[in-house]
Amino acid sequence: MKLQLAILQTAALVVPRQQRAEWLAEWRSELWYVRRASSHCKRGVTAYCLGAFKDAFFLRRTKPRLSVREILRLESPFHCTAFLAALAAVGALSAVQIPSGGNEQSMLMQRPLARLLMLVVFACLILPSTTSLSLGEYPANRDSSWPIRLRRWIFLLTKIGLILLIVYCQLLFLADPGTSGLAANLRIQGLLWGSIYAFRWALSDQRKRCPVCLRLLTNPAQIGQPAHNFLEWSGTELICARGHGLLHVPETPTSWFDTQRWLYLHPSWRDIF
Amino acid sequence: MAVESKLSHTAAMILHAIHAGYVYGFSIMEMTGLPSGTVYPAMRRLERDALIRSEWEQQSIAVAEQRPARKYYKLTRAGKATLEAAHKRYPLLARLIPSQEVETA
Repeated sequence: MKLQLAILQTAALVVPRQQRAEWLAEWRSELWYVRRASSHCKRGVTAYCLGAFKDAFFLRRTKPRLSVREILRLESPFHCTAFLAALAAVGALSAVQIPSGGNEQSMLMQRPLARLLMLVVFACLILPSTTSLSLGEYPANRDSSWPIRLRRWIFLLTKIGLILLIVYCQLLFLADPGTSGLAANLRIQGLLWGSIYAFRWALSDQRKRCPVCLRLLTNPAQIGQPAHNFLEWSGTELICARGHGLLHVPETPTSWFDTQRWLYLHPSWRDIF
Repeated sequence: MAVESKLSHTAAMILHAIHAGYVYGFSIMEMTGLPSGTVYPAMRRLERDALIRSEWEQQSIAVAEQRPARKYYKLTRAGKATLEAAHKRYPLLARLIPSQEVETA
């Protein structure tokens, strides 16, 4: 029995994660009936279990593939980081290939790190006027242990780090020797606003993610009415597709609900996801 | 129609077995003589093509009878139409698998 269950457990690893639990439940249930029907023939039961591999590989092969739109939505933290890393790599390659201008270095090429720092300082000064810097309220919970909180911060810092790298590479790439002062200034303005937009995106993206699995939240639902704000809250509710919790985003910030709030769902809820 | 024309003999046999009242994987295996590695993937394909649909038995019934709950398969409307077309293509199919009373509630 142990061997047969081990075969099923091993085959289950091949099955796509979303279907795994139900698939295993079906095979285990069927195994019980197979064993009862052929109690004298262990080899037959084992052969039956080996068929699970064929079934598992079929499910793996026919798993619906992600569309380009879904990939570009950068739902998983891996997709998001990989996308930024790819942009940074392209930026770095472009920056490496710029020709050296000898003595005629453009204004941007002089002390690029200092210019990057200046650009980031300006971007940070302007950023609060374009978006809230708060990441929301995440109550203490057994799901919010320090490794999970640390992972969330590492993810945010990685995004910001990669954005900085992209901006730096663009700074070098745009520093074409022989560019006049006005053109160089226009380019740096473009880079400044581009960086502000990128930092704004990094914060907004972080706010839309589940603090546990770091995947983008789904199924936005409108709750309440703005006219009832004195008695109730109104806004949008999003849910983690893996059942970790709900995010409440107020439509109008009030004194009792000024920022988005995360609500951890009890692990017993995860069975329905 | 595209699905009907692609239905293999094995798939048609499984479809007929489900129609005849063999509504779970192991009984289909026993009746058709096909191995588990053929029957289950074929049923997944039929379910994906919306020719059959699956449903878990009520847990309370299984618990009362002291056995694990089973997953039952049922023909959809499209599945019945496809089976009729398959009967024309494979006329001996009905003789291979005799009907039985559906034992599920």
